[in-house]
Amino acid sequence: MTSTDCVLDVRDFRMDFGATTVIRDLSFDVRRGETFGLLGSNGCGKTTTIRALLGIYTPTAGTLLVEGKRYEPGSGVRLGYLPEERGLYKKEPVLDVMTYFGRLKGMTRSAAQTWSQGYLEAVGLSSHAKLRLDKLSGGQQQKVQLGVTIMNDPDILILDEPTKGFDPVNRRLLMDLIEERRRAGATIVIITHQMEEVERLCDRILLLKDGKAEAYGTVADVQDQYGGQAIRLGFSGVLPTSTHFRVVSAETNYAELELTEGSEPTPVLRELLDAGVEVRSFDATRISLDEVFLRVYGAEASTEGDATPRQAVA
Amino acid sequence: MKRHNFGTVVSFEFLRTVTKPKFWIITLAVPAFLAIVIGLTTLGAKATNSATNNKFTSLTFTYTDPGHWIVPEVAKAMGGTLAADPAAARAAVQAGTSEANFDYPSDPGTGAITVMAKDVGLVDSAKYAPYAQGVFRASITAKIGDPALARWATTTPTTDVLTYADGVQSPGFMGAIAPGIFMLVFYLTIMMLGNQMLNVTLEEKENRVTEMILTTMNPATLIVGKVVALSLLGVLQAVLVSLPIFLGSRLFGTAFDLPNLDLSQVPITPLPTLIGFLLFVGGFMLFSGLLVAIGSVMPSAREAGSAFGAVILCMFIPLYALSLVVSDPHSVIVQIFTYFPLTAPITAMLRNALGSLSVVEAGVVLVILFATAAAFLWLGVQLFRTGSIAYDRRLNIGKALGLGRKAA
Repeated sequence: MTSTDCVLDVRDFRMDFGATTVIRDLSFDVRRGETFGLLGSNGCGKTTTIRALLGIYTPTAGTLLVEGKRYEPGSGVRLGYLPEERGLYKKEPVLDVMTYFGRLKGMTRSAAQTWSQGYLEAVGLSSHAKLRLDKLSGGQQQKVQLGVTIMNDPDILILDEPTKGFDPVNRRLLMDLIEERRRAGATIVIITHQMEEVERLCDRILLLKDGKAEAYGTVADVQDQYGGQAIRLGFSGVLPTSTHFRVVSAETNYAELELTEGSEPTPVLRELLDAGVEVRSFDATRISLDEVFLRVYGAEASTEGDATPRQAVA
Repeated sequence: MKRHNFGTVVSFEFLRTVTKPKFWIITLAVPAFLAIVIGLTTLGAKATNSATNNKFTSLTFTYTDPGHWIVPEVAKAMGGTLAADPAAARAAVQAGTSEANFDYPSDPGTGAITVMAKDVGLVDSAKYAPYAQGVFRASITAKIGDPALARWATTTPTTDVLTYADGVQSPGFMGAIAPGIFMLVFYLTIMMLGNQMLNVTLEEKENRVTEMILTTMNPATLIVGKVVALSLLGVLQAVLVSLPIFLGSRLFGTAFDLPNLDLSQVPITPLPTLIGFLLFVGGFMLFSGLLVAIGSVMPSAREAGSAFGAVILCMFIPLYALSLVVSDPHSVIVQIFTYFPLTAPITAMLRNALGSLSVVEAGVVLVILFATAAAFLWLGVQLFRTGSIAYDRRLNIGKALGLGRKAA
């Protein structure tokens, strides 16, 4: 990988708040044009990492670079950021707020106005342009927030819990916008708990646990690291005991089997048939990221629910 | 600081305020309210005077005068008759058959004129005392024989005092007006802009918009841009409030007995005026920086309000020691007020206007003010950077500034 391929580069990052170390010895990079997932349970340091990367926090140690240098607003990097805590100037008209942010991102007033009007037209809010933001519904405000995030066609898009609080319509809109930016060659970083989204969108992922990198690589690499191949089996009969697989879950006519190291699907199928099991479906696949997430975070993740992640600074 | 974003912030903050009808209504309500109050008061006073004057002309009364101060011809001409029987004269008033009776004392220097009269209402009954005094005054004038002499005997002549320092005529009290005006402007500025300054950073925090802002511009750009925009709004408000008052006094001053605002008579003393201006600027910057820092720490406008009260108290506490500042500017307490940053602006501006602040002292105060203002602004920016992300909580300043952090 050449240095120009590396858009975000984090090396030996550590972050302390008082006596508490939130992140320790974290290193990873995000390559140009890829969609990268930053995953982890609540309070593991995902948002802190992004805030340090974007210059909001000063790191205790390490280097965090965006396009080869420390990020500074107005440095020329076209970056769109959708923070987890969302909000805009609620008492101002929609078009004025969008124009303001467009200008802050380097657009001229007329360009920002034109872009905003086009976006509002596209998302069905053109008649609301002169209304105050707090007169819009929650879903409509989310659309405006998304518009502000992608103004000026960002080359880097950082989305912190992007679907949190979004209704299905806006979730679809967000996915379309991500896809559009992806096709345009933008580098996208997604911080999320939604493993389905990660499997569908991300090229590579980083799992953070207690401020340290727990797993890092392509989605397939991480799946391999935490169980490798799995078989989703539709069957009748009694599953035999085997050295080739372990039963992860079993219901009356369905089971998920995890292959032991070095095992292949074909001998497993033969063993099942030899044992008199009537096989109706046999789907060899990788272990799901949901399962990986549960294995990494275990009870910690299951007790957190969908609560807002704790902020790092008390 | 990016000039482009600085201008964007200033114009956004300025325009979004002046394009709201609320701004104009609140601002213009001040001169409108003043005009209504002055108009009503003047018209009311004129009506009262008119009514009182009209009813004086037909008063008839009896009087007693054991000291022989009253000239009978004068009293008669004004409707008076010497009471042959004082007790009967008073009884007649009580019975309602006589309008009034005045008992003049033997010695006006120690005794008072006693007036018994028919009650004609709260306002109209006020006519009796000046009328009784008028009879007395007219009688004394008649006794002296020269009206002009009599007038000067009861009038204190005006005095013009000319003092000189280093061979140059001192401006006197008028000389305090130009440098002292900055204290008034400072007071008005804090009263009008204080709460808005406090809300400079609170708005971003309460609207959860900080992170979007911090990734698009430097926090110093945002804060300084907002402070500049607010200052411009303050100037606009000052013009909008004072212009109608000034024009009103010029156009309708005579009709409404308003003081004539002739600023050409105010002498400008260059050095004290310059020092007054610099003290105002330094004080304003100090005040802005401090309020921005408070706003960054507090989670909501309500909680910030209590801290704001403490700042205002600190700023204006020297006025409680006004007599000491005027009479003994070198006393320990005045010296402390002069050099303690929060009390320095008012104390120094007051002393500067009164001429008791030397150039050296002014220089030291200015250094203290500008240095403290810069420190507060820096602190405000640092606290905003992290404090405004602690959306719902009061910020721990030590943690926000990285104090107590482990070594890297």
